[in-house]
Amino acid sequence: MCGMIATSNIENRAVAQVRMTPSEKPSQEIVCLVDDDPLVLRSTGLLLVSDGFAVRRFDKGEDFIAYVASHDVPLVVLDIWMEEMTGLEVLARLCAISPQTHVIVITGHEDSAARILAMQIGTVAFLIKPFDDEQFLEVVHRALGHEPAPPLRGALTM
Amino acid sequence: MSDRDKIDKESREHRETTDPSREEQLSLLQTITMEVAAAGDFSSALKVVLRRICEKTGWVFGQAWLPNQEGTVIECGPAWFCAEADLKEFRAASEESHFVPGAGIPGSVWKSKQPVWIQDVTLDGNFARIKAAAKAELKGAMGIPILSGDEVLAVIEFFVHESRAEDKQLVKVITAVAEQLDLVMDRQRAQEAVREREARISLAAESANLAFWVLYPERNTAWMSEKGRVIYGFDSKLPLTWELLVSRVHSDERAAVQAAFEQARTSHGTFESEHRIVLPDGKTRWVMMRGRCLQNEHGDLLEVIGVTIDVSAQKQSDLELQIQRDEMEHLNRVALVGEMTASVAHELNQPLTAIANNAAAARRFFDRGQIDPAILRQLLADIAAASHRAGEVINGIRGMARKGERTRSLLNLNAVIADTLRLVRSDILTRETAVVTDFDPRLPDVEAAPVQIQQVLLNLIVNALDAVEALPLAKRRLIISTRSLNGESAEVSVRDFGTGLPADRAEKVFDHFFSTKAKGMGMGLTIARSIVEAHAGTLGAENAEGGGALFFFHLPASRGLPMGKAA
Repeated sequence: MCGMIATSNIENRAVAQVRMTPSEKPSQEIVCLVDDDPLVLRSTGLLLVSDGFAVRRFDKGEDFIAYVASHDVPLVVLDIWMEEMTGLEVLARLCAISPQTHVIVITGHEDSAARILAMQIGTVAFLIKPFDDEQFLEVVHRALGHEPAPPLRGALTM
Repeated sequence: MSDRDKIDKESREHRETTDPSREEQLSLLQTITMEVAAAGDFSSALKVVLRRICEKTGWVFGQAWLPNQEGTVIECGPAWFCAEADLKEFRAASEESHFVPGAGIPGSVWKSKQPVWIQDVTLDGNFARIKAAAKAELKGAMGIPILSGDEVLAVIEFFVHESRAEDKQLVKVITAVAEQLDLVMDRQRAQEAVREREARISLAAESANLAFWVLYPERNTAWMSEKGRVIYGFDSKLPLTWELLVSRVHSDERAAVQAAFEQARTSHGTFESEHRIVLPDGKTRWVMMRGRCLQNEHGDLLEVIGVTIDVSAQKQSDLELQIQRDEMEHLNRVALVGEMTASVAHELNQPLTAIANNAAAARRFFDRGQIDPAILRQLLADIAAASHRAGEVINGIRGMARKGERTRSLLNLNAVIADTLRLVRSDILTRETAVVTDFDPRLPDVEAAPVQIQQVLLNLIVNALDAVEALPLAKRRLIISTRSLNGESAEVSVRDFGTGLPADRAEKVFDHFFSTKAKGMGMGLTIARSIVEAHAGTLGAENAEGGGALFFFHLPASRGLPMGKAA
């Protein structure tokens, strides 16, 4: 199976619609997503798409490392407990290859050792699954240096 | 026999020895005593007596009469003797006759308990078989009672062709012979009684706290000791039958008890059955029933003697023990689920995260008024898939936590191990332990309860994970392998690279409450072993070559369920 999953037609269509919305941010920043669970990978991806991001998904840490070696990646959302290469290994290599990449760690359970390690190597946030969508997107925006929550979203979630 | 009877008999014998025909008597007595003793039963003994008397005295015909069971008439017994072939017609006529007390020679002797002598039966008004006697040319006749105490056991009757005047001496001799017959029979009856008593006593000795019963199949009546009546809830005066006894047996087990009884009855053997009885008040007792069929020399069933023991108390404690064992097993499984916290949390969090993300994404698309039906369909489909997966995780945990799941099926242990490893996948990941599997593809299938085998595997795997927990990353590994032992059994082994078993007491790890873990109950391995043993297998442990502990278990290969049942 190919580890690097190209954005699907469905997501492309969503992205196209998002792009046409005048109230939305003009920039189409690509967020990388690494999780070995296909359901979580797709749902987190669509959550980002619903907020106007373009998403590149990986179900293997190795594939992401290969990608990041030749691409500029501003942000990666990374799962910690994966078979084969774990999130912590990905983190360690990322430090060496692309220290400017921001990292948001999502994990199935609290693990203080992993949290400390992650925070030491440039992680901006450490979220426990299942996480709150507002909080997650806010962290994503902040990691990318955006303004706080866009007005439309804030108004409707009241 | 009372002492007075004995003295009486001895004094009579003393008189007889002074008699002139003493030698003749003695010879006859000796012959008859020996032959009667060898005869074995009453009917054969009578035959001997009839033949010997006829041979010694020259009387041509002799036959025995026996009172019927009700004591209403006396009938021809099977024993008879004739010196001439043409006397068979007279025998046939006798066989057709029966007499009330006082009628004919047999009836008269039966009633009076005294010998009867008739000089010429053809002239006697009380002789019913007069035509047959005339045809057979029989005239002189005598009848002698065979007494047991005051009871007439039989009447022996003899005929000669000529008219004969009463010969008191002869009557005396034959009476003495008859007494001898009674003595011999008495001794035999006593021996028989002793045999029975011995049989009863030994049966009793075999079973403490017993209720005793005797069944007479001929009459279909039964006797039961007072204790037995209490156990069975029979009123002390109620006449018993086998059917009544069987009616107390629990309906689920009645057919089996009846079958065991019939089997013993036809083979004249013994039977044993453990079953429930239901008392009239609805109470149930567990009983152990043992019976033995007693037969006479000819193999006819005389009676069935038996004991019934109330084993309810023992059954109850067995049951409690089983419940306790189930409870411990259950607690261990619950504890195992507890120890698999990382896996349980992870396995549930993944689909829950997917559901939450998908729902949030859908809401966002809606909020923007940009909902694409294709995307919505995808989101909803993924929500459904994730819910389904969460449900499966819950079912898996519930399966482990459920009580008494012990249905056996045909299992491939390689597949069970793979499933079990999936269950603890996250724990293995978070503990950063490498698990290497080495499966034998020719591993024979076993018949086992999947949940129980998974429990055994989980105990071994969790123990092994604990054993390597504190080791440096490179040494943190387990090897799980399977092996076919000549196709006769399947071996599973779990090897860790920890500190190994206590040097001199490897077996101690199987003891109750032995634990090297801070949180451990110390029951895991005990339970694992009891599960494996319940499957006719063995579970052992040893220190592996090169360090670490090796736990292994063997389960016998399935003797082959039909393929269709494998699922």
